[in-house]
Amino acid sequence: MEEWYKAIEEASSVESLESIRVSVFGKKGILAAEFAKMKTAANEEKAKIAKDLNIHKGKMTSLLAERKMTLQTLELRARMEAEKIDVSLFSSRSEKGAVHPVMDTMDKIVDYFASMNFSVQTGPMIEDDFHNFEALNLPKYHPARDMQDTFYFKDEMLLRTHTSPVQIRTMLHTKPPIRMIAPGSVFRRDYDITHTPMFHQVEGLLVDKEGEVSFANLKYILEDFLKYMFGDIEVRFRPSFFPFTEPSAEVDISCVFCKGEGCRVCSKTGWLEVLGCGIVDPNVFKAVGYKDVSGYAFGLGVERFAMLIHQIGDLRSLFEGDVRLLEQFR
Amino acid sequence: MIVTKNWLNEWIDLSDVNIADLEKTFNAIGLEVDRSVTYTIPKKIIVGEVLECEKHPDADKLNVCKVDIGSSIRQIVCGAANVRAGIKVAVAVLGAKMPSGMDIKPVKLRGVDSEGMICSSSEIGLPDLEKGIMVLDESIGTLKLGRELSEYPSLNDSLIELELTANRGDCLSIRGVARDLSASYNRPIRDCKESEEEDRNMGIGRVLQLKSDESLDLSLRYRAIDFKSVELPLVVRLRLAMIEEKKSSELEDLLFYATYNTGVVLHAYNGSTFNVNADEKAVATIKTDEKNFPSVFGAKKASVVGVKQMKESKAEEEGLLFLEASYIAPDIISKKNHENRTEVGDIFYRTSRGSEPDLNLGLRYFLHLLESHSISKIYGGSLELHSPVDETIISISLSEINAMIGMDIEKKVVTQILKGLGFDLRQSQSDNFNISVPQYRHDISHKQDIVEEVVRLVGIDNIKSKAFVFSEKNRKSDDYSEYLRRKAFRHASADNGFYESVHFVFNERITLEKHGFTCIDQDKELLNPITNTFDTLRPTLLMGLLEAASRNVKFGRKQVKLFELGSVFSTQRDESLKLGFIQSGDLDSDTLLNAGKPASIGFEQFSQRISNVIGDFKLVAYESTHKLAHPYQCAQVIINGAVVGEMFKLHPDVANAFDLRDTMMCEIDFSALKSDLKVAKEYSKYQASFRDLSLVIHQDLKYSEIEKIIEAAKTQELIRFYPVDRYQDEAMGENVSLTLRFVLQSHSKTLEEEDITNAMDSILGACETELGLSLR
Repeated sequence: MEEWYKAIEEASSVESLESIRVSVFGKKGILAAEFAKMKTAANEEKAKIAKDLNIHKGKMTSLLAERKMTLQTLELRARMEAEKIDVSLFSSRSEKGAVHPVMDTMDKIVDYFASMNFSVQTGPMIEDDFHNFEALNLPKYHPARDMQDTFYFKDEMLLRTHTSPVQIRTMLHTKPPIRMIAPGSVFRRDYDITHTPMFHQVEGLLVDKEGEVSFANLKYILEDFLKYMFGDIEVRFRPSFFPFTEPSAEVDISCVFCKGEGCRVCSKTGWLEVLGCGIVDPNVFKAVGYKDVSGYAFGLGVERFAMLIHQIGDLRSLFEGDVRLLEQFR
Repeated sequence: MIVTKNWLNEWIDLSDVNIADLEKTFNAIGLEVDRSVTYTIPKKIIVGEVLECEKHPDADKLNVCKVDIGSSIRQIVCGAANVRAGIKVAVAVLGAKMPSGMDIKPVKLRGVDSEGMICSSSEIGLPDLEKGIMVLDESIGTLKLGRELSEYPSLNDSLIELELTANRGDCLSIRGVARDLSASYNRPIRDCKESEEEDRNMGIGRVLQLKSDESLDLSLRYRAIDFKSVELPLVVRLRLAMIEEKKSSELEDLLFYATYNTGVVLHAYNGSTFNVNADEKAVATIKTDEKNFPSVFGAKKASVVGVKQMKESKAEEEGLLFLEASYIAPDIISKKNHENRTEVGDIFYRTSRGSEPDLNLGLRYFLHLLESHSISKIYGGSLELHSPVDETIISISLSEINAMIGMDIEKKVVTQILKGLGFDLRQSQSDNFNISVPQYRHDISHKQDIVEEVVRLVGIDNIKSKAFVFSEKNRKSDDYSEYLRRKAFRHASADNGFYESVHFVFNERITLEKHGFTCIDQDKELLNPITNTFDTLRPTLLMGLLEAASRNVKFGRKQVKLFELGSVFSTQRDESLKLGFIQSGDLDSDTLLNAGKPASIGFEQFSQRISNVIGDFKLVAYESTHKLAHPYQCAQVIINGAVVGEMFKLHPDVANAFDLRDTMMCEIDFSALKSDLKVAKEYSKYQASFRDLSLVIHQDLKYSEIEKIIEAAKTQELIRFYPVDRYQDEAMGENVSLTLRFVLQSHSKTLEEEDITNAMDSILGACETELGLSLR
């Protein structure tokens, strides 16, 4: 009997343990054989033999169970060890693509103004003279309206040179108050290292009762917006001129590259021009038939924002579908 | 517009203003600083006088000079052709360090000792003046021998280039810029130097007569001069060089210089221009020309006012000449040129933006200069033609100004600003300003222009930001929903491995037509394309994607996956939005998964990827209208029964031409991709059963045919079926084995074997009778 205890303790696998169990507990097993011996034993000894055998049976059962659990654990451990892999081989190699940095920047800009309760409006790329120029206080002989800058069609239609015509369209079919932005592609007849014939703009317009909208309001939203886009920067306003706003200003941010120290990107000035804005010229309101209103407007180039945010040096590279650039924005 | 500090100082006292402060002021008042350069002449470059000048014994081109440098006389060898005895020059003495880095040391030149260098303007860091050395004169200040040139302010000047906005013609002159500064610094502008008006021996009326029968909106003023040659002083030549202007003669230079200083448009006509009849007094006739421009005529047209002067009428030689100052309002001249385009001269830039209307200012300035540097004689008096101008009066209250700015600005501040800019406020009462606008500020016509002047001189940075208060309103627009929908599809495309690319909407017409695309109707085509390759608007995104893929492959990429969501244009030029995809080359990246040898992209994988972006669709073989598609791998994409686009393998010829391997493309009408509200259907709670059926079919039999038959024959238990395997071997000849998987499920019970057999029998039966198919 003792040797069987030893055999159980030394069993090296679940299978050998199972064959030991059969040898001990099976129909022809040793326990059965021992019990069979009882038939021939004296009656008075039977009780004692039975008791002893039952004690053995109990001990062996629990020993077997214990040993089985140990062996199973060991076997699982060994199997898992055999399944060991070099996980470092499988460092990420994403098959994801990416949205374009300019479009992504546009999304961010739209997100900001949408959260500030501006409505988003779009309009056609092919425009007429009235919506693109005339209604924006740019009469035909205006020096700011150089024929060279505009793409015309043979039937006198044109490719919009800014998204401002969307503002005109919106004002023509909605009553004030207005609080809107117009994101979209615009076109200028210019193609060199810093100009492309197509680029993207977001323009904004706010119109309310006369005397309600001030330059101070315009400053507030643009300062907030620029800090949202560029983080901790300084914002500077410079008086400027646009035919559709008066007073007008250009807005600079402290250079994001050199933190205002002066570098190549900011032409050593420490400032980067990023926006144009102003109080809407009364002639614009006159053109759309608005009376007793005041408003502000602003406009920005999305490529410029994207290039500054992502430190992209070459404007033209944005239109080449070059994966070497695009894959960096995954 | 380029100004220099020293030049401005002629018109306004800036002696206590440093250059950084000046730049800051310019930016603050809306005259944007574009560029700034300070000239600094190194030490040990001093005033000297050439006492003697003789040819070098051994070199033709060299001269040996004795030069008085105040403290001593030095021998200097000089190679310049214009060196001569008696002139005062810039001398770099021993120990000087030149801007080029050269050190001045005693040297021997062809055997002759030379102790120093007589310098040209560029050698001491100034702009290039002319050939040879720089001859000094007292226009830069008193010339004391031995004095350091770094002590002369006009030689050590700071140049600032201003970027003027189109409305600020009044700042196209040194005096105009000074006038704006005078309002900002609150200090007066200096008067123009006067020429002597006495002792004129003869009046202009003896030699010229003005004739005009028409009423023309312009001003002209003439003076007569007996012109003798003029020598430009150094400071004038230097300033002209700084602004990079050099005209054809000294007289032209001087006219330009006077105009640049004062803003008044000046021309000089040779005396014979107005000789209409021999022996009689010259006659200048002012009338409109054939294009309706007011012009000055002698025997022929002499000039178009505000537009150009005819070359033949220009004064070039000594003798009688007529000096003309002119003004024509910028809106008049711009309008005329818009209505009747004509060839314009340099002066048009100035006149169309607004030249200085005070003609006398320009004439006086010019004549004073001429008299100072020439022995020319000036005739007495002037002849003029002058149209009265309507005065512009603007009324605005202090509270209106403050409401528009959003800040309370004191009345005295506003008054000071407006007066400083030359506005007349005499009619103003209490808090109401009645402002008379000077003629040179043609850009000021309404209240907001006045506010703009106040804003720029107060400084926008001094205006405190204030949040706008508005009423809550639902501003969600359809356009915004559409914007978000675009954004969602763009991100879905990127998430499925495609890179977003953005291309110009321009394309080349012949390339498009060569590939079978139809372009915009000729009568609606672009009038002034920027290049031949961008001469039309694209009817498709495919060419842009194809070209981009080709470029990427040329850069060495083995796999290109791009998409674009952009506008295309129909023959009638109607704009619509398309979503285009291209995948070229490898199916996946080369990784462990494919032992570094990924397969090429095929129709089935591409279709799967597109489906991951745009949802379920059906494909139907069709023949494309363009020539990019492989004839046997081209399909229409159908969603809910409607054709929404096409998907195809790139034609091998086209792929070849673009250096591409296997390439798949797809273009979808974006408007057809609906994001409808989803309605949940009831679904079975019982277990589904799966059955596979392998059919032997002819290789040309389309799956869509089989699909149609099964759809017609199916029982309600069949909820879905789809192909899972297609197998062919030589033994099968022209047949293939197609395995379909059927999903069966009931809404009311778990299906018994018998139900399944019945359902499958019905399908198999239909395949046998309708298509003659058998089980494999």
